[in-house]
Amino acid sequence: MKTLDEIRSSISTLESIPAIPAIVQPLVATLNLPAEKVAVEQVVELVSYDSSIAAQCLRMANSPLFGRRNVETVKGAIVTLGLKRVQSILLGCCLNRIVPMDKWAFSATSFWRHSLGCALVSRKLASLIGYPEPEKAYLAGLLHDIGILVNTLACTKEYCQCFAAAGDRRVSLEVVEQNLLGFTHCESGRILAEQWKFPQDVVAVIAFHHHVAHARSAPALVCLVHLCDLLCRLRDLGYGFYEAMGVDLAGDRAWADLLEHCPQLATLDLTRLTLDIDGAMDEIIAVVDAVFHPESSISR
Amino acid sequence: METAVTKIVTQVEDLKDPAYLKIRDLIYEISGIYQPQEKLYLLASRCARRMAAVNAATPADYLAHLTLRANRETELRSLLNEITIGETYMFRSPAQLDALRNVILPQFVASKAAMGFKRLRLWSAGCSTGEEPYTLAMFLLEESTKLLSGWTFDILATDLNDHSLAAAKAGIYGEYSLRGTSDALRKKYFKPHDEKRLQASDQLKSLIRFERVNLSDDSKMIFIKGLDLIFCCNVLIYFDLNSKRRVMQHFYSNLLSGGYLFLGHAESLFQVDDRFRLMHFPGAIGYWKASANCVGSDKS
Repeated sequence: MKTLDEIRSSISTLESIPAIPAIVQPLVATLNLPAEKVAVEQVVELVSYDSSIAAQCLRMANSPLFGRRNVETVKGAIVTLGLKRVQSILLGCCLNRIVPMDKWAFSATSFWRHSLGCALVSRKLASLIGYPEPEKAYLAGLLHDIGILVNTLACTKEYCQCFAAAGDRRVSLEVVEQNLLGFTHCESGRILAEQWKFPQDVVAVIAFHHHVAHARSAPALVCLVHLCDLLCRLRDLGYGFYEAMGVDLAGDRAWADLLEHCPQLATLDLTRLTLDIDGAMDEIIAVVDAVFHPESSISR
Repeated sequence: METAVTKIVTQVEDLKDPAYLKIRDLIYEISGIYQPQEKLYLLASRCARRMAAVNAATPADYLAHLTLRANRETELRSLLNEITIGETYMFRSPAQLDALRNVILPQFVASKAAMGFKRLRLWSAGCSTGEEPYTLAMFLLEESTKLLSGWTFDILATDLNDHSLAAAKAGIYGEYSLRGTSDALRKKYFKPHDEKRLQASDQLKSLIRFERVNLSDDSKMIFIKGLDLIFCCNVLIYFDLNSKRRVMQHFYSNLLSGGYLFLGHAESLFQVDDRFRLMHFPGAIGYWKASANCVGSDKS
């Protein structure tokens, strides 16, 4: 079984990540720049580099989940959806490529449904409570579990056992990872995110979304994604197994911490948000099936 | 001539009509039943039937029936009946039963068994024709061979309507009510009544005490005590805000510390009650009467 140090070393040489799309690193570089310093043409060029990624981007951009229809060009997507959202969508499409189909320790569809669900719910909650960067919340929600991809690649066999044990015991994946691997997807995700120079606040979310008290940077974003991660897992957007949990979200430490940054949280109608997630479920499934599913009809 | 069906289809297709959102918000404000944007077509189809009944030409006309006309309260009740129609069948809320089985019963077993109590008391408040209390009775009997071995249970089932109560006591059901009940459970807990219907066994009936109770009758409500679980599905939706608040105060007193209240799937208590803790379980929402001795949250 690999240790965290061995995983760190294999990530640094990219040996565990055989098919990293060429556009990921320049894309992440643009993510670290303020929007006004990124030229639209630069992102258009990145998206258009790979025609199937461009097709996947357009499929997502045309989903009602993003509030727009009839987007036919990459530039049109950027104009109508905004640069930040297209960058997030693009990164999601790229990340889908890093795990070969035969390496998945569990359902790729479940992973992307959870990630996209968490991204959408994080953005929605951010907007509802006046968090100043809803698009950053979307990106952080999309990437929060990237460590699961790392673990899948680095120790596929052991990770299959983790998923099986979590499903059998109906507990959180993170608890089983700690027991069986000695580290969690938060730690391995952090290594990849730092290596790839993700924005610092997104790195904090990846590293601490299960332990919000440890987050020194971007605590509000970490708390926000922590709550949305839980909500998604509680509304059938988890990892495809039953987690036996009863959660008092408003009694969670993350709720109290987020409330300090976003006082509007106090008046949030949480039941309504929960039912809105249920309402969006069909479209989330449709988008993920069309964009990320192995048997996706989109040509590669 | 336009047929009723064509008319309904035309109206349902016209979901962009802002009147539907206003009707949705009105229903939510008055009853607590929420329909997310993506499921607005369901509300529209229920409205369409009432629109045909009252001869309303457009959703805006129908909104006037619900808000301006003299008989608006009667019409609102008719619409609520349409919205909740078809929800009365056994095992209609599997996520609630999963939460009981996997999260709540283990809590009860831990906290009660430590004190030497092995008894559970449940209340189906507004039991209508009895599908809910019989479901709970079957659920508990099945669990009595596992986690609840050696436990005793009693179920109080109440309704205001004498006809519904008589039907509930008789316990005779057709395919519509039994559509969610497996063959094994039908065989175990029912006996044939006639060619098309089954009757609840004496074993099931022996667990349930049927009574006529008006939830607004304070003199009766204050004497219902010592409950572990209350189920009150699509009943409070017909109450005005003050009456809802009074019933919720009673429910809080009726429950033991650590007990739970469950409502209908799309019902919300937002701004109705602030004493219960809103608890999320996988696929289900419950309301918890917090207790210092009870583990209320198991999250990660």
